[in-house]
Amino acid sequence: MEFTALFLAITIAMVVAWRGPRPLAIGLFAVILVACVATLLHHATDRLTLSF
Amino acid sequence: MTDTRAVTLNALALYGLALLLTAAFAAQLMLHELPCPLCLLQRILFALLAIGPILNIRFGPRPSHYALSLLTAVLGASVSTRQVLLHILPGDAGYGSALLGYHYYTWALIAFIAAIVLLAAMLLFDRQFDQRTAHITAPGGFAQGAVWSVVGLAALNVLSTLLECGIGACADNPIVYELLKRAS
Repeated sequence: MEFTALFLAITIAMVVAWRGPRPLAIGLFAVILVACVATLLHHATDRLTLSF
Repeated sequence: MTDTRAVTLNALALYGLALLLTAAFAAQLMLHELPCPLCLLQRILFALLAIGPILNIRFGPRPSHYALSLLTAVLGASVSTRQVLLHILPGDAGYGSALLGYHYYTWALIAFIAAIVLLAAMLLFDRQFDQRTAHITAPGGFAQGAVWSVVGLAALNVLSTLLECGIGACADNPIVYELLKRAS
């Protein structure tokens, strides 16, 4: 569900960047980037079985 | 490099991103391989890379717009590196099919690193920023086509991901479209 929401948010941010005010587009971008980092941290919990 | 030429290169970059997202879709539909959560996150970050070029086309080239794409590319490279490391041990067949010897996430890592290098190269040309206060001309059909193609592909990914994951959490190793399974 979070991935659908992220794609939807990016689609909206693209349309805002193209048609809307610049500060809003950059603000949306920042929110999405933080959400992506949070999603990565949430999904990257498996231990890496590396030998180095 | 003039701002007009920079805008043309930004439009070309958007067409490149559109091609990449189309290739990911083609692999998903033709090979019947559903993207895993980390694969989806890499697609999301490819789509997010488009915000900087869209702003450059609309408002004229600015270093801050390139910075948005740089931040995204660095995060994208981190995500794809994470997935490469998950499958780096000898004997691990990797996730999904390989294309020309590399899996999707390896190609994604190469693409994100290429994006970082290209963005840094674009920032070397100061003259594109000189006309910042000048009148911004309306984007032509080439640039408009580039913008709407990435917007359309991002919207298609909304539908595809909704079909794949449904309204719950995405499966770690998805093999069926959750919403279609519920409907049948």
